[in-house]
Amino acid sequence: MKRALSEEKLDSLISYILTLGVLLSVAVETLGIAGYYSSNGNLNILFQPSFAMKGTDFFSYMGKLFQELTVGGWSPMEVLGLGIVVLMLTPYLRVVASVLYFGLTRNPKYLLITLFVLFVLTASLLQL
Amino acid sequence: MGHKLGPESKLIDMLSVLIISIFAGFLGSLTGLGGGSIMIPVLVAFGVPLKYAIAASMVTIIATSSGSAASYVKERITNVKAAFYLEMFTIVGAIIGATITSFIAPRFLYFFFAGFLLTSFFGLSGHLRGEFSKRVKQDRFSKWLELDGSYYDEAAKKKISYKIKNAHLGGPCMLIAGLAAGMLGIGAGAFKVSIHELILKMPAKVSTTTSNFIIGITALAGASVYFASGLLFVGLAAPMAAGTTVGALVGGRILNRLPNRLVRYLFLVIVVALIAQMLYEGITSP
Repeated sequence: MKRALSEEKLDSLISYILTLGVLLSVAVETLGIAGYYSSNGNLNILFQPSFAMKGTDFFSYMGKLFQELTVGGWSPMEVLGLGIVVLMLTPYLRVVASVLYFGLTRNPKYLLITLFVLFVLTASLLQL
Repeated sequence: MGHKLGPESKLIDMLSVLIISIFAGFLGSLTGLGGGSIMIPVLVAFGVPLKYAIAASMVTIIATSSGSAASYVKERITNVKAAFYLEMFTIVGAIIGATITSFIAPRFLYFFFAGFLLTSFFGLSGHLRGEFSKRVKQDRFSKWLELDGSYYDEAAKKKISYKIKNAHLGGPCMLIAGLAAGMLGIGAGAFKVSIHELILKMPAKVSTTTSNFIIGITALAGASVYFASGLLFVGLAAPMAAGTTVGALVGGRILNRLPNRLVRYLFLVIVVALIAQMLYEGITSP
């Protein structure tokens, strides 16, 4: 019974992270699309290499975005990029939360399993 | 890379993508096909290069999966432990799959896509199976992984307890599911559900909701590869993610009010059209 109760906490935490992440990313993306229209006068998608998320891994891209946030002067494309970053962070954070949860509740099996998932995802996002 | 037009040509605008995505998300959630399987062939029909559509769809799936997973997890139908165990396999598969797509000629991808759409038919019979039997004898490995659970079934108005078995077989099978998902930019939901029900012996509701939960992480793994490969376009992925999320939300609300027959006809017409479209593209591609 104790196990079921504590797992309930993990379930609510995960649910909370997922809901918040998706809502936030949809809001940011909507903002980005509106911003793109107001600055360009159209909504054309250009498949130019400069518009692709290339030459960088996820975390460097995110770092660069946040760096520009502190300086100011965001372009709508960067807002759209932020929407995607928030979206990709959503499931990532639910894995981080689960690692912490299984660590705190001393469940070595699932701590290892979630750590493996976190490790593979992090390595792939870093393009190691 | 399968460009039909020069890199600077305008192919499609965000508003069209947004509208198409709302419809795709709506129909995907209604028919159980998922947003990606519908979205990719439609975008290709509009002239978007296949690999760009796949990469953007992979990101989009994170939104639709996470959006619906949130409520199922809260209702405690999803088996989170089983999901974590199976995710170890799907993410590795998705990374391999997405890497293959980054290199392979698009022509092959069209045929793989058309072929894999056939697995959607698994979903049709999935929920027809009778009530779940709880007299399952659990093997040692599944027991060690603590793969059991219970949930309150609204339709049956009772608590259903169950035990998952064959975890040692289910894992490697999920590697294939992840591979297909990463390669084609889809959730491969019907395929995952079949593994859950036929091999792992999950009850139907646990199986679909757990599959949905796993799809989000699998998609992230695939997206991480597309992110660095230069195939992911923000301008395409952002309206797609916003549109399918809204569409899926509406679809999920309406599903229970529609007669099953209508949903099945809709499913059949859409799957056949999608397969035909991808085969056509595959045959006519250079």
